[in-house]
Amino acid sequence: MDLLNQTLLLLWKDLLLELRRRESLLTMFFFGTLLLFVFHFSFDFAPDKVAEMAPALLWLAFLFTGTLGLTQLFQVERENHCLDALLLSPLDRGALFLAKTFFNLLLMLLVELVVMPLFWILFNLQGWNLLPQLFLVTLLGTVGFCVLGTMMSAVTLRARARELLLPLVLFPLMIPVILATIRCMETIMRAGDLGDAWSWLRLLLGFDVIFVTVGILIFDRVIED
Amino acid sequence: MPVTQPLRRRRGILGALALIAIAVGLYWGLIVAPPDAYQGEVQRIMYLHLPSILAAYLSYFLVFIGSCMYLWKRERRDDILAHSAAEIGVLFTALTIIEGSIWGRPTWGVWWAWDARLTLTAILLLIYTGYLMLRSLIDDENRASSAAAVLGIIGFLDIPLIHMSVYWWRTLHQPPSILQPNKAPWENIAWPLLIPLLINIVAFLLLLFYLLSLRYRLGEMRDEIRMHRLEHSL
Amino acid sequence: MEGWSFVALAYGIVWTVIVVYLFSLKSRYKKAQMELSALRSAQAISQNDKT
Repeated sequence: MDLLNQTLLLLWKDLLLELRRRESLLTMFFFGTLLLFVFHFSFDFAPDKVAEMAPALLWLAFLFTGTLGLTQLFQVERENHCLDALLLSPLDRGALFLAKTFFNLLLMLLVELVVMPLFWILFNLQGWNLLPQLFLVTLLGTVGFCVLGTMMSAVTLRARARELLLPLVLFPLMIPVILATIRCMETIMRAGDLGDAWSWLRLLLGFDVIFVTVGILIFDRVIED
Repeated sequence: MPVTQPLRRRRGILGALALIAIAVGLYWGLIVAPPDAYQGEVQRIMYLHLPSILAAYLSYFLVFIGSCMYLWKRERRDDILAHSAAEIGVLFTALTIIEGSIWGRPTWGVWWAWDARLTLTAILLLIYTGYLMLRSLIDDENRASSAAAVLGIIGFLDIPLIHMSVYWWRTLHQPPSILQPNKAPWENIAWPLLIPLLINIVAFLLLLFYLLSLRYRLGEMRDEIRMHRLEHSL
Repeated sequence: MEGWSFVALAYGIVWTVIVVYLFSLKSRYKKAQMELSALRSAQAISQNDKT
């Protein structure tokens, strides 16, 4: 499928650039870790309380780290009019959307893969066997974040106060994802598996499906020079 | 093209109708209607609250339609509609929150509660205030319109998802309480209370359309001014 | 009755806000109208000069 090929091509370009310049991934990783440190100092936890707060704190860290990645997302294209070149080319803009979303998704997943175990260590949490399930839920939530985030990042490209505006418009839209992911994670940590949080998971999946579809359909109109 | 007299007259009639409906609604809601058996006089705030939120939702629906049409056809009138409806929607949402809060004080004892309805309204306010800020922070008019249209579409599509998530959140973990903040005060409404409610809903909708027509015309004029300036700077 | 004071507060705030918004809308409207007619007459004058 042509869309897929184009997407992979654009994705490969971004990955190569990232490998060479290494600006986004390292910054995001260090920022995520820094936030964990700050949380530890800010909240004076009784050991049993930490497990309750863990999903929320993790997700706060991921949200802010992810926003950092989003503001960088189209940075490469802004230099040297690369974006104009991309748009003038016969590439399907839906492919650009998918590629950018995947790129940010990959960056965030890599960061989460490291930060989650780190969180477990720093906060002395139990239940290491639950991490795969938790990571799966985080994955779905991150997809939702990246989909909407990529659209909002593209849309605010030329706005003033962009670094403030992006989270301002993005976060309220993210509320279903935030609620669903944290509830799922809480249930997993409390009960060992998803149990009655299944409806939350379905909501999360629905969110992802709806906005990936919408994104592909309208990204055409979203991004202009 | 100058606005024709018939249009201005129609708007005037709309305004007059709105005023009459508002007056009747006020009279009926405050004087004719009996106080609620359980909530007392405070229940009369519902004659503002429900019409306000309905007006807000209708406004946001218009933002959605305008945004879709604008992204599709790129006609100025759709963008102006979306912008106008968003501004008025924010007005009614802010009012809804204020009314809900004031109603909540004697009912629940607090000025704010994170119950489903108030929370949802607050989120709506955040989304569409963000819409207005987005527009004002992008200097290029065309980009601003496209950007806003995207947010107008995504924001509206998100609303049902936000509804579900907030309701589940508030009802699954809320300990059973005597006051039951999640119980809508207009459920099981009695007939003498329904009439003023309906009148006020009509009044608010008329008001909405009147304000919208004014704001829309303002948007058209601003567009024309912008066109003039562009032409003459060349 | 305590109930009425809350009703008065709510109705008072709501209608004040609506009236204020209406006035702001009308004043913006008038400003735009004046600017537009000024621009239009300036355009008419310059067109007259050209002919």
